[in-house]
This record gives sequence, C-alpha cells and structure tokens, in this order.
Amino acid sequence: MVAAVAGSNLLSLRGLGKDYGERVAVEAVDLDVAAGTIFGLLGPTGAGKTTTISMIAGVVTPSRGNATVGGHAVAAGRAGFAARRAVGLVPQELALYEELTADQNLAFFGRLYGLDRATLADRTDWALGVVGLVERRRDAVSTYSGGMKRRLNIAAGMLHRPALLVLDEPTVGVDPQSRRHIFDTIRALRDGGMTVLYTSHYMEEVAELCDRVAIMDGGEVVALGSIAELVARHAGAPILELELAGDAAALLAARALAARHGAVEGTGPLLRLPRPAQLGPLLVDVETAGATVVRVTVASAGLESVFLTLTGRSLRD
Amino acid sequence: MLLATIKKDLQLLLRDRGALISLFLLPVVFIAVFGAFFSGDNDGDRRAIAVWAADTPRTRAVVTALEGSQLFEVERVASAEAARAAVAADRVSAAVILPADFDPAAGRPGELAIDEALAPQVRLPVQGALQAIVHYAVFPPALGADLPVLVAATPPGIQRALRDVDAFQLSVPGNAVLFGFFLALTVGLAFAEERRWGTWRRILAAPVPRATVLLAKLVPYGLVGLAQFAFLFGLGAGVFGMRVGGSLLALVVLTVAVVTCAVALGLAIAALGGSEKRMGSVGSVSLLIMGLLGGAMVPRAIMPPLLKTVGLAVPHGWALDGYFTLLVRDGASLADVLPQIGAILGFAAVFAAFGVWRFRFER
Ligand SMILES: Nc1ncnc2c1ncn2[C@@H]1O[C@H](COP(=O)(O)OP(=O)(O)OP(=O)(O)O)[C@@H](O)[C@H]1O
Ligand SMILES: [Mg+2]
Repeated sequence: MVAAVAGSNLLSLRGLGKDYGERVAVEAVDLDVAAGTIFGLLGPTGAGKTTTISMIAGVVTPSRGNATVGGHAVAAGRAGFAARRAVGLVPQELALYEELTADQNLAFFGRLYGLDRATLADRTDWALGVVGLVERRRDAVSTYSGGMKRRLNIAAGMLHRPALLVLDEPTVGVDPQSRRHIFDTIRALRDGGMTVLYTSHYMEEVAELCDRVAIMDGGEVVALGSIAELVARHAGAPILELELAGDAAALLAARALAARHGAVEGTGPLLRLPRPAQLGPLLVDVETAGATVVRVTVASAGLESVFLTLTGRSLRD
Repeated sequence: MLLATIKKDLQLLLRDRGALISLFLLPVVFIAVFGAFFSGDNDGDRRAIAVWAADTPRTRAVVTALEGSQLFEVERVASAEAARAAVAADRVSAAVILPADFDPAAGRPGELAIDEALAPQVRLPVQGALQAIVHYAVFPPALGADLPVLVAATPPGIQRALRDVDAFQLSVPGNAVLFGFFLALTVGLAFAEERRWGTWRRILAAPVPRATVLLAKLVPYGLVGLAQFAFLFGLGAGVFGMRVGGSLLALVVLTVAVVTCAVALGLAIAALGGSEKRMGSVGSVSLLIMGLLGGAMVPRAIMPPLLKTVGLAVPHGWALDGYFTLLVRDGASLADVLPQIGAILGFAAVFAAFGVWRFRFER
C-alpha cells in the first residue's frame, strides 16, 4: 500500500490518450488527484471515462502520454507492478465468476495480488464486512441480487487495500438502498485514507460524493475543479425550464423550432433553455407551432447547467 | 498465481456440466458403441453359411471340403429354397446350393446365394473363399493335396502383433484422441468466457506478467486433458478389456505430447478470437473433420491411399498411429513411437507459435 500523504497528488496524468484505429477514444488528459479525496470523472456515454481509467489501471495500453500512481509509473511488465499494486479496479461491467461463491472469487482475486493465506482471510472478512455480504459469502454469486453483485464487485477491487480505488459507474442498475450502501462504503474508505476515483454520468451522484470533478466530453476534459468552482465559473446564466402544453403534433413542431434557440429536451413535457436571452423569440415560435407555455421555472445552477453550458447538450443522452 | 488459477479454473470446470460431459462421458459412450459394433467382425467368429446338396459323390466331396475348411460355420438345410430363405433372412452370409447334376467341368456350376448388394469388403472375401474351396474340391491337384501353399508371417521390421486385435484397441484411442482434442475448444472458450465475464480486465490489472497469465490459463486444462486420457484408457483397460502390448511409459509420453498439442491448439483458437458461438460451431466441426481425417472414427488402415496420406496432415493421424503401435504390437517401446511424438510436438509448436503471435490481451 502506498502511503497517502495528505495534500500531495496520488494520481497524475500527463497527456494521456488512446486511439482505436482512426477513432480517438481519449485525446490527451492532464489530471491530478489529491491523496485522500474522492475525485469524480463525469461525462456522457462514450466520453472516454472507461478508457481513461483502464489506462490508469494498466488494462489498456495508452497511445500517448503517461500516468503515475503514488509516484510509480504505470507501465507494461514488471516496471509497472508497483503502480498496479497501488490501484484497485472496480470495472463498469460486473467482473465476477458467477458460478463460484464470494469466498472463492475473492480468494482468486486476492492471490492475483500475492496475498498470503492469512492476509487473504483477514482481507476477505474485512471486504465482505464493508460491503455487507458476510452472511452470503458461501453462496454462488449467481444467486445474488443485482445490488449484491455490485457490492461484491467493489469488494473484489479493494481486497489488496489499494492506495487508489477506481470505481467505474458502480451504481448502474442498483436499487436506492444498495446505492446508499455503496456511497457509505466509498466515504468510509476515503475516511480510512483511500483515494477514490469515481466515474459516473449521474450529476447528483458526483455532486453528493466528490470533492473535485473533471467533466469529460468527446475524449477531452472540458472542465476541472471543485463543484463550487465549476458552478461559479461555467454556470453563469441560470437554466430556464419551460413546461409545454398542446396536442402531440403541436408539441413536436414546437420542440423542433425551439431547438434553433438552443433549447434541449427535458423530461416529459419540459424544455430546457440554457440561454435565457432566447426566451422571447422562443415563446413566439412555440405559439406559432400551436403549443402553449404553461409554466417557466428557473433551475438552480448546478453541475448539469455547467455541462449544458460547456457542451450545449444534456448529460443524460 | 499458477496454483490459484488452476484451482479457480478447476472449480469452474467442475460446475460446467456441458464441458464435463463432452470431455469425459461422451467418449465413453462412443467407445462402448464403436467397440461393441466392430467386435462381431474381429472376435474371430466364423461366418455362417447354409449348404444344400443333392447326394452325389461330387457334391459330397464339396460339402466335406467346406466343413473341413474351418473358415465357415456350415449349416446343412433341407432344400434349396430353405438355403435361399436363410440368406434372405440374413441368418447366414451366403448359401451354397449343389443340384444332382452339379458338374462344373461339363458347364453345370452350382449356385452361390448371396446378397449382391452387400458391401464389397464383406461380399468379396466370402465369395472368394467359397469359390476357392469348391474349386479345390472339384478339381483336386494331382500332387501335394494336403500341403499348405501359403503360410501367414509378419515380415521383419513390423513388430509382432498381438494374436487378435480387439475392437477396443481401436475404439478407445480413437475416441480418446477425438475427444481429447476437443479440449482445444474448451481452452478457446475459457479465454472467451473470461473476457465476457469481465474478469479478464481484473487479471490484466493485477501485478502479474502477461506471459504468466497465458500460461496459468493453459496449465489447468493440460491437467484436465491428462485426467481425461487416464480416465478413458483406464476405463478401456479395466472395463472393456483393452490390452496394451507395448510400453506403458511410451503411452504416457505420447499422451503428454497429445495433450500439449491439444492445449496449444486451444491457444491458437483463442488467438483467432471470434464470438463464442462461432468458436463453438466452427471449432467443433473442424475438430470433427480433423478427427475423421486422422482416423479417429474409421481407422486409417482401411482408408484409400490418398486419404491415408491426408490423415498425416493433422496431429490426430500421428497420435493414432502411435497409440495403435503401443496397444497392438507386442513389446513396442518408446523408440518405436518417437517419430509420432516428434510430429505431434511439431504441430504443438506451430499452434503455440501462432497463438502467441496472434493473441491479443487487449481488445
Ligand atoms: N476496445 C475498443 N475498441 C474500439 N473503440 C473503443 C474501444 N473501447 C472504447 N472505444 C471507443 O472509445 C470511446 C470512449 O469509450 P469509453 O468506454 O471510454 O466511454 P465511457 O465514457 O466510459 O462511456 P459509458 O458512460 O457509456 O461507459 C467510445 O467512442 C468507444 O466507442
Ligand atoms: Mg464507461
């Protein structure tokens, strides 16, 4: 385990990038993550989050740039072992042997990190305790609920007590109770000195959990800072939310016209408008289309409005 | 890492009923069926023939010769019709019918009742032997009537064969090799599954050299392969009474070479990639064809010359040559199967080299 020195950077990325043939998955990321913090990597689907953390974990070989964890370079072969030991990966997709029990899974993953029998037994007890799966440890994973599998997925990544725990969208498809549990686990680990890198495309998650955030889009980091900083810097103007009414055809036409003013789809009959100056012309167009605006609200400036301002798109697809 | 992987993969395999059935149970079924099927021909059971003859000195001489030949189980029947009916009912392979005016010298031959649609391999030996016996009885040679004209002997250079080769000496190695090479498919699928399960990413993230990752994934299947051969040969010897004429040590060395080759082929399959579905369909058909060409189902010994040669283009052919030598030939030693072991290891090297060259850890 790499000692976490408060205030120093545990993880540093410099110009880190990856191409798949012609496609640039990650452009060139520069990033520093302070020891003992929870860092959020936020971005829509295809932004390059998984590719970035895969490079950090040594699972994907970078096309350019470099990464260090606790001062150790991420590299192929033995040169990269120190960095690998310092990282615990919790993959986005469940990465477990469904036919084996939790104990059997953890025994194998622990051995991959060279844990001896006694240490393995200790760590297995600890990890299963943290994620709350002690009672089910001798059951095959295939008999677990989705949320339990997610929790075991996390336990498998933290077994060797890495200095940096990397979690790739660990709450996807999880019930609120399990999500709560996962969040508590992550905070407890951070309080115990672990540094956490957390990817998500849920704004609220990152806002609730993370000390600092990088917003990724199209393979690039488009904004970086604490949540307060980002909101202050990028979400200058508030977002207006318009609730529309009218028949289906009118709504369809209204949305098409509204898009010309930079409006984006919200949930249900909502339209979201990041540029309030466009409100006047937009109202005219909506009425032309035969729809009416029944309500206008001002959404509080948050990470979502930061993202909207930066990319002109809503985070949720 | 190695031990942990062996343990984990064995735990997984023990829960994979499909793989266990195809590696251990299916070959036993095939061995039993093929062995029993061919046993009838090889047990030295004589073929039955029916005979009806009018009572004349000439026909008496022929019947005596047929009974005295020891080549056939001769059944005397009451009429020519009964003789033909016995053939039609498939109670006997053929019937010899000799009427009162039987006199070949005068252009009045007897009748040989036989299904002319029978496979030539079955019909021609029966027909030829009967012709010869009858000919000999009707036209006895002037001199040396009782002296043997040909004596069977194995030429030097060929090891002395066990007296009678039994069908299980063919069906046990045949199916062991056929299903033994199916291990390659299990290996290829094991890599694909590891990727599908996402556990491959965890393994890549661990501080383990990638060469070790490959090796650790292959070793457990090598052990399973050895267990499979030990099981099938043990069962063959213990339950089906298969005899081993040659050296046991040679049998073990040959088997280690065969299993190594199968595992190397598995790495090559994994390196080719493709979906599990395609691996399963293309892979199993290819392995069946290789087994067929190599003589796992029909011995190469009875194949036409061209096919016989083609069989040596697959490791199965060499493996079966080796096993046949070791099972059937008395006192065959390691030296007698070195060429086969060399060839199989050659195949293994080619498969492994291709596998290592094409294998992609990241995809
Ligand atoms: N193995 C691969 N081969 C080719 N392209 C890839 C590969 N992996 C990722 N990509 C591409 O790289 C880009 C970034 O993908 P990545 O998985 O990093 O996104 P993400 O931010 O994790 O998305 P999501 O939120 O959906 O998980 C995508 O355009 C994707 O198609
Ligand atoms: Mg992802």
